[in-house]
Amino acid sequence: MWRVTLVLAPLAACSSGPYDDVQYIKQARSLGAEWALVNEQASQNKLTSTYVDSMHKWIRQQLGGSSTSLTQPSSRYGEEIQALFHESDNAPPERLRAHVKKLKEIEDQLESA
Amino acid sequence: MNPLELTLGIMTAVGGFVDISELVFAAKAGSTFGYALIWVFAFSTVGIIVFSEMSGRVAAVAKQPVFNLVRHRLGLQLGLLTLVASIISNLITCAAEIGGLSLILNYLTGAPYFLMAPVATLVIVISIWILPFKWIERVYGLLGLFMITFAVALIAIHPPWSEVAGGFVPHIPHGLNTKELLTFGYFCVAIVSAVMFPYEVYFYSSGGIEEEWGPKDLLTNRITSIVGMGLGSLLAISILASSAQFFGPAYVDPEIPGSTALQAAIPFGKWGLILALLGMFFAVAGAAVETCMANAYSIAQFFGWRWGRHKKPWEAPRFTIAWIALFVVALSIVLTGVDVMILVELAILFSILVLPLSYLPLLLLAGDRQYMREHANGSIAKGLGWFYFGVITAAALAAIPLYLLTAGGSG
Repeated sequence: MWRVTLVLAPLAACSSGPYDDVQYIKQARSLGAEWALVNEQASQNKLTSTYVDSMHKWIRQQLGGSSTSLTQPSSRYGEEIQALFHESDNAPPERLRAHVKKLKEIEDQLESA
Repeated sequence: MNPLELTLGIMTAVGGFVDISELVFAAKAGSTFGYALIWVFAFSTVGIIVFSEMSGRVAAVAKQPVFNLVRHRLGLQLGLLTLVASIISNLITCAAEIGGLSLILNYLTGAPYFLMAPVATLVIVISIWILPFKWIERVYGLLGLFMITFAVALIAIHPPWSEVAGGFVPHIPHGLNTKELLTFGYFCVAIVSAVMFPYEVYFYSSGGIEEEWGPKDLLTNRITSIVGMGLGSLLAISILASSAQFFGPAYVDPEIPGSTALQAAIPFGKWGLILALLGMFFAVAGAAVETCMANAYSIAQFFGWRWGRHKKPWEAPRFTIAWIALFVVALSIVLTGVDVMILVELAILFSILVLPLSYLPLLLLAGDRQYMREHANGSIAKGLGWFYFGVITAAALAAIPLYLLTAGGSG
């Protein structure tokens, strides 16, 4: 087993800095998109209020986790995730999607770098 | 062959096919790679059909459940290693299922997650205690048929069928960079693992012995495996295809299992949502039963204890204590507050590592004419068996490096 660990440790250590944060940016972007989709369907009366409340709670909890896991929380993407986190539960889907779009752009820039 | 029994068996297999890992990975696969991973689901389904049919045949003819074979064919040391690894893998999977159940109950009722986990576990324990084996399997499997809502939802949204059909043809999407290729590879491994979970075969073969299958049941075993699992796989593929349609373009990589239920709510509204959540609940509850019972079967068979739900609980006391204790441990894992999605990823990772060691003894005995006589593997079963053994061995070797290189598939 220790041999496996020795072989795999350098692979895991290949990344650093903002690159480490890409997975959390992706997570936050997806959570924002899920939030927008929930609010959009809820506005069309297609969801139960219990489901919507639960989804809001879980999305917020996960977003909090993404935000605190960032290695650079005061970066542009850190601020964007914070702005998303501070939106009200019933924020309009368009506003949530605006955050999603910005996070997606940052994610793509970091990935292509 | 009783047609009613056969139909119920097939429906049970369909309803019991999907579990929390398939729910999660089918939705993520569709949102990340569109329809391009459908063929991996189809390919893995043939694999689980091959080994399920084999394990049912061995149970019917040689009257040997999987972990008897593991001990006798791999020897004590390697057998014990396989047992410990499979216990860990099944335990994490069971914890993921219980966590998933609590989440689904939370979406349905709004009751607190940490209250729903013990409630769901207690209901499952009571149901196992009071129901005969056949009905444990059927109640969860048949109620899991609510999952058909996802297939109906896919039809209702009119996806591009030619693209969906194209997904069944094995291919790697064009234009992927190295990182995306690695992520695609990780998804392939994860889907193979999710579809071919070892607990399914432990449970299926032990069930064959519980129900006292004999050579007369071989045709039922074959049809149930092929048709039931084949149709069950279509439910997982429906989730993937709906995800490609709804989630991918909206930049959603489902991070929460509840998002999957939106696929039925979008075309059908509140009733679609409720039926989808009920389907998810019973399918995941059935998987929780199977993972925990598979663990208890494995331990009892390995150490030669009396086992089986056809006995009264006090007639097989160590087996009874084992399955109840395993539920308590799985529940304890959930109550630590660990994220369900992390449990799902760990379950996938551990399971793929255990798969080759679980399936090798089965493959060896199913081909042994001394035990299996005229029912030993023919050329097709033998060829497919060794081919899929090679596939799962390669997947097991690639799993950890791919997991680390892709941060668990998140790129």
